[in-house]
Amino acid sequence: MDNTHPLLLTCLLCVPAIAAGLAAVTARSLRAAAFITAAGIGGGSALGLAAAVEAGKHGTISALGSWLYVDALSAFNLAVMIIVYIMSTVFAFVYFKEEARAGAFSLKQARQFAALWCGSFTSMTLVLVSNNLGIMWVGIEATTLLTAFLICIHSSRHSLEAMWKYLLICSVGVAFAFMGTLLAAASSRHVAGFDIHQALLWTRLRDHAAMLNPALIKAAFIFLVVGYGTKAGLAPMHNWLPDAHSQAPAPVSALFSGFMLNAALYCIMRYIPIVEAATGHAGWALTLLAALGVFSIGIGAAFIVFQQDIKRLLAYCSVEHIGIIALGLGLGGIGVFAALFHTLNHSLCKSLSFFAAGRLGQRYGTHDIRLLHGATRNSRLWGTALFVSLLALMGVAPFALFMSEFRILKAAVDAHAFVLLALFLCGVSVVFVGMLSKAIPLMWGESTVSVAAPDIHTRLEAGLVVIPLAALLALGCWMPGFLGTALTQASDIIRTGAALPPH
Amino acid sequence: MSETCMMVLIVLDLALLGISMVNTGILIVGLQGALLGAFVIAVNAPALSPRLFVIACAGIAIKGFLFPLLLRRTIKEANIQRDMNPFVGASLSLLIGILMLASALWLGAELPLTGVIRAPFTVPASFMTMFTGLFLIIARKKALTQCLGYIVFENGIYAFGVAAVGEIPSLVELGLLLDAFVAVFVMGIAIYRINQEFDHMDADELRSLKG
Amino acid sequence: MKHPHVIAVFNYFLALALAPLLTGVVNRVKARFAGRSGPPLFQAYYDIAKLLRKGAVYGAQTSWIFRASAPVILASGMIALLTVPFGGASAPLAFGGDIIVLAYMLGLMRFFTIVAALDTGSSFEGMGASREAFFSALAEPALLLGVAALAVKTGWMSLSSMLPAASPVSFELILVVAAFIIVYLAENARIPIDDPATHLELTMIHEVMILDHSGPDFGCIEFASSLKLWILGAIIVDIAVPYRSGWWFVDCAEGVAGMLVLAAAVGTVESAMARLRLLRVPQLLVAAGALSTIAFLLVVR
Repeated sequence: MDNTHPLLLTCLLCVPAIAAGLAAVTARSLRAAAFITAAGIGGGSALGLAAAVEAGKHGTISALGSWLYVDALSAFNLAVMIIVYIMSTVFAFVYFKEEARAGAFSLKQARQFAALWCGSFTSMTLVLVSNNLGIMWVGIEATTLLTAFLICIHSSRHSLEAMWKYLLICSVGVAFAFMGTLLAAASSRHVAGFDIHQALLWTRLRDHAAMLNPALIKAAFIFLVVGYGTKAGLAPMHNWLPDAHSQAPAPVSALFSGFMLNAALYCIMRYIPIVEAATGHAGWALTLLAALGVFSIGIGAAFIVFQQDIKRLLAYCSVEHIGIIALGLGLGGIGVFAALFHTLNHSLCKSLSFFAAGRLGQRYGTHDIRLLHGATRNSRLWGTALFVSLLALMGVAPFALFMSEFRILKAAVDAHAFVLLALFLCGVSVVFVGMLSKAIPLMWGESTVSVAAPDIHTRLEAGLVVIPLAALLALGCWMPGFLGTALTQASDIIRTGAALPPH
Repeated sequence: MSETCMMVLIVLDLALLGISMVNTGILIVGLQGALLGAFVIAVNAPALSPRLFVIACAGIAIKGFLFPLLLRRTIKEANIQRDMNPFVGASLSLLIGILMLASALWLGAELPLTGVIRAPFTVPASFMTMFTGLFLIIARKKALTQCLGYIVFENGIYAFGVAAVGEIPSLVELGLLLDAFVAVFVMGIAIYRINQEFDHMDADELRSLKG
Repeated sequence: MKHPHVIAVFNYFLALALAPLLTGVVNRVKARFAGRSGPPLFQAYYDIAKLLRKGAVYGAQTSWIFRASAPVILASGMIALLTVPFGGASAPLAFGGDIIVLAYMLGLMRFFTIVAALDTGSSFEGMGASREAFFSALAEPALLLGVAALAVKTGWMSLSSMLPAASPVSFELILVVAAFIIVYLAENARIPIDDPATHLELTMIHEVMILDHSGPDFGCIEFASSLKLWILGAIIVDIAVPYRSGWWFVDCAEGVAGMLVLAAAVGTVESAMARLRLLRVPQLLVAAGALSTIAFLLVVR
């Protein structure tokens, strides 16, 4: 059942873009830049939530001749994106206010940050709401280009190096994904009633999925997984991730791990039902995805063990969790539900941990874990936040991440994928031990660096810490009704291509 | 006509592998871009609509003229050395290029695309161009040459798209051109900033972040 | 074409007679570009005649190899000429695979030049010998792969059938001709590979190897160099010039005109370009090999 909401969706795309332009050109002070960012992100978020609610009510909404299309999967991801953006924007205010006080954040940098931040909001929204797979690709490429300079807001040798690696690797990867998009369009050429203007629409490919040329769609999927997987951080294409996350300022790292990786995975999720239907539901695409997922878990686990930099540690942790999500998607059945749930939990938790790492870095002047020992004693709020979020990331019960990982375990057992199960457990155990060995000194270690600044924090910061943690605890114990329905509908779309009508 | 376009594309790829001056490389990449615009016209020649013609001209303008202009400006502003100084020398690159051409021809025969592709020689040519682009990114030291490799890679994919899919809706086409343009623009700015900070353009030297 | 054997023999003697004229044309064109009136067109003939009248001087360190080299060089050149078709007519010696005879006769010529140069014991000549060996090793695949491409395309295995049949213009043909032109310049030691007019031994490749020959030996070698110009030029002209009319006289004249135009083009290139750095010469030859390989791969697919 379609409902057209052209005004809502176009405003959703335009408002942050206009804010970006304004911030770049007219912001005359740091406060003005902050205000414009808040207005842009706030307006965009409100519109996005409205779109998600409308989609929940009507099933799907569309606009512009169904080039824009929001169904349950888009709506869910839109909601996650908005949560991450709001949290990260508030944190960005706190973080950069501290930097400005220390004189390390100029007006030019503020303008650049505001413009690129709002611009990336627009491009990620474009990815989520477009039905046209070509435009979806354009959105992902735009994300890469817009966020590249966010990494090197503070020019230094390391940040420039990280930015160049990110730009090149992700651009080449996304170009691979474009090749996959072309092959997917080519696979539908022989279908009767082929209209080139409709060929790239996801809804059309989904409707005709059973008639697509299987060899071509398989080749397309390989290119797509390699391409979008580079952007998502799936191993072995994850090389840009640790550098970009460790060198970017904390709000940007939180955004990357919190939503940008999910956006790339979303693109892969869109193709799964099409490939599965075209290959006769043999599970070929799912096997490929599960294999890459397990490989990413392994790589993440292997590299976590010897990390010294807290942000690099969190980056490899992201690789591992993206692997878990891919594994869940690849297991099918309840695994898809669990994977989507995991995206929400991971975004919440990883953002919080990057916030904490960033603030501790500001306070201590370093990101080296060895120098952050005893951080919980010196900075009670953010040290505790980092410690608890690390625990949650490890999969400690009763946080929500434990529940989603447990569900994925169950899905593996249901699917009799015992090899994958064993590898998954191995990887997660290694991560558990590795991260715990670094987290414990954070709480109870002897601090080697003395900090002169007093440990004061505003209520805003306290809110930033308490709300996500409370949400994670709550979600770990109890699944609210609306969330369950949303997840079920979204996972139905991935498994079968269409959501069952809402009841 | 379209077959000839693809063969010239292959010769340009090999030329890119064999040269040693960055300016010649930029010229060849510009020629490739213009050639692709001509290819669009050649492939669609029996049923050429004004819309396609405009898109082809836009492609020639952006890829054939604008990209080289942007890159030359980057060279001038960043004061980059002219010599490419590659890891893999010109003769060895040419030999590897021959190997890549052989594998592209093999791939072209293997993939089941015969009913789909409108110009028969496109699959090997586009794969060869993609391989050349990837090779330039991996085997060349200078960041500017890596940017050239990216443009060549995109050219290969575009050539494949034109023959396999044909008419993509104008908006998507324009979106693609715009994306490519902005990518090159952003890379140019990145190279400029790297040069400011580092005093050199060797991406090979950018390896302090490890582990 | 009536009486093919007579025409073939006639073409052979025509080649022997006209080959030194090509050198004259090249030098004349170069002189004209430089603003001079230049030597007479038949200067090469006068030089060879003069050399034949003189006596030869042999170095004390040389052996029979050196004395034998000049006649062998001339003989192998003349045998190689036997396999080359001209003017649309067949060559006196034509059979499937005669390209191998051509390549190996040229190789024999080159081998004896190199060995004679090494025999003199001079370091300059040894240096020239090693360069010549290296560059011709790189140029050989270009020539052979180009001929292989032509063979696959036309379906004939003999030069005499292959070259006249290769007339419709196609992309592969253009690539092959481009490769052959580079090989032509390389084998005949022309700019941009080697400068025949230089007097600096350290920059020479071909000239330095024949420094010690004198008298009739030198005359033989000069004539053999002109023959090489004719042989490789005839291959290019036979591909490039379509022989449409059935009259041997007209085709022959077309062929001669083509050779003269080619010689003039070489003179132009020599005047317009400078010699490449020695490091770049292998790259140019590998590029020629690449062009031949592309043509071959395109023809074979």
